[in-house]
Amino acid sequence: MDQLPQIYAENIHRWLPELLYYSLTTLKIAAVSFALAVVFGVFIALMRTSTNRFLRGFASVYIEIARGLPIVVLLYIVYFVPPQLFPELNWQWFSDFTGAVLGLALHGGAILAEVFRSGIEALHKGQREAALTLGMTPIQSMAYIIAPQATRIVLPPVANYAIGLLKDTSLCSLIGVNELMNNAKSIAFADYQPMAVFVLIAAIYFAMSYPLSLAVRYMEWRFNVSR
Amino acid sequence: MGFFQILEKNGWYFLTSLLGGWPETLSVAVGALFFALIFGLLIALLRTSKWRALRWPATTYVEVFRGTPALVQLFVIYFGFPDVGFQPSPMQAAIVGLGLNGAAYLSEIYRAGIESIHRGQMEAALSLGMTPARAMQYIVLPQAIRTMLPPITSFAIVLLKDTAIVFAVGVVEVMAIARNLVTETLQSAPIYLMAGALYLCVTIPMARLAARLERQRQAWQ
Repeated sequence: MDQLPQIYAENIHRWLPELLYYSLTTLKIAAVSFALAVVFGVFIALMRTSTNRFLRGFASVYIEIARGLPIVVLLYIVYFVPPQLFPELNWQWFSDFTGAVLGLALHGGAILAEVFRSGIEALHKGQREAALTLGMTPIQSMAYIIAPQATRIVLPPVANYAIGLLKDTSLCSLIGVNELMNNAKSIAFADYQPMAVFVLIAAIYFAMSYPLSLAVRYMEWRFNVSR
Repeated sequence: MGFFQILEKNGWYFLTSLLGGWPETLSVAVGALFFALIFGLLIALLRTSKWRALRWPATTYVEVFRGTPALVQLFVIYFGFPDVGFQPSPMQAAIVGLGLNGAAYLSEIYRAGIESIHRGQMEAALSLGMTPARAMQYIVLPQAIRTMLPPITSFAIVLLKDTAIVFAVGVVEVMAIARNLVTETLQSAPIYLMAGALYLCVTIPMARLAARLERQRQAWQ
């Protein structure tokens, strides 16, 4: 067997451009599902903390199911089940990309809902009341009192979720989305160099996730000082 | 045929086939858990060591394994290792892959647990004439276990859910059987929903247990 450095020297000019091109798809999946997950997360967190018993119940059941299912299973359910349950509808628009994003976002919504809820509950009600008593409008109290404190609590776990999400996009290859992982598989088996190709994409994933994990560490350090 | 007719006609066949995958799923989960429990402790001890030469490789290990997807790690082990002259079986690859990945996460849990025990405990043990290893074994770790048990339970849940990807390296566990059933009968809706329900039957009680352990821990403190 050739040594890895030699394999890279011979093939990297073919592999890297293609892999980097598909890591853009990976980033696109991660970005779209992150945005959707934040929206779902806010809605579910509001339902979970609402006074309506029905909404609260729905939110807790949703959270328990979405967090209890393996992500792969959730992806398979979201992508393969609806078209079969409702075959009379038009499923042309439902691409593997859409299915992947929806599945990841449904899972992320449950994770983020818990994060947001703990952020809301961590803030003492007195903070808002005090701000209102001082003559601030509700909007001012949100902008200057509640939001800055809640951000400090919520941001590190949200960034941690983003790191997990970035890595979880690799699971979309299993339902056939042509992203980084799937493309690496094709290259690895076509060129018969699995070790070299998979180590290379591990490095690419690492290069994408490590800056985020440094950011988390910085935030945890930065937000701790004034506690 | 509607969903419920299919379920009535083939439900029992689907259910028994899927249940047949659980021994494999659980073997992977339990094997990887043991691997991670032992290897993670080693990494945690290295990370809390006095010597930089020991700390540095352990930190790098944790960063690398937490910074890359578990699926990629499994592929490196299962498809990559034959290149360097070792062909693992699917089961070996799954246990080692998820175990190495889990060790990186567990080492952080161990480290937080060890660091939660006051330094004075270690110093007192050392001044009583214990060696550092004995002090760790008899004084620090038994106390740290209390703090570590709830996150370790949560970790076990995550690990169990992660076993759903090992069909990609050829282990015939629940998801692999579900996929085979779909290829055989083309009934993706009942099969995947049933597979999901089976996972929930295990993960939800475990999550309840983890929450209870956490409440007990907080009551102790």
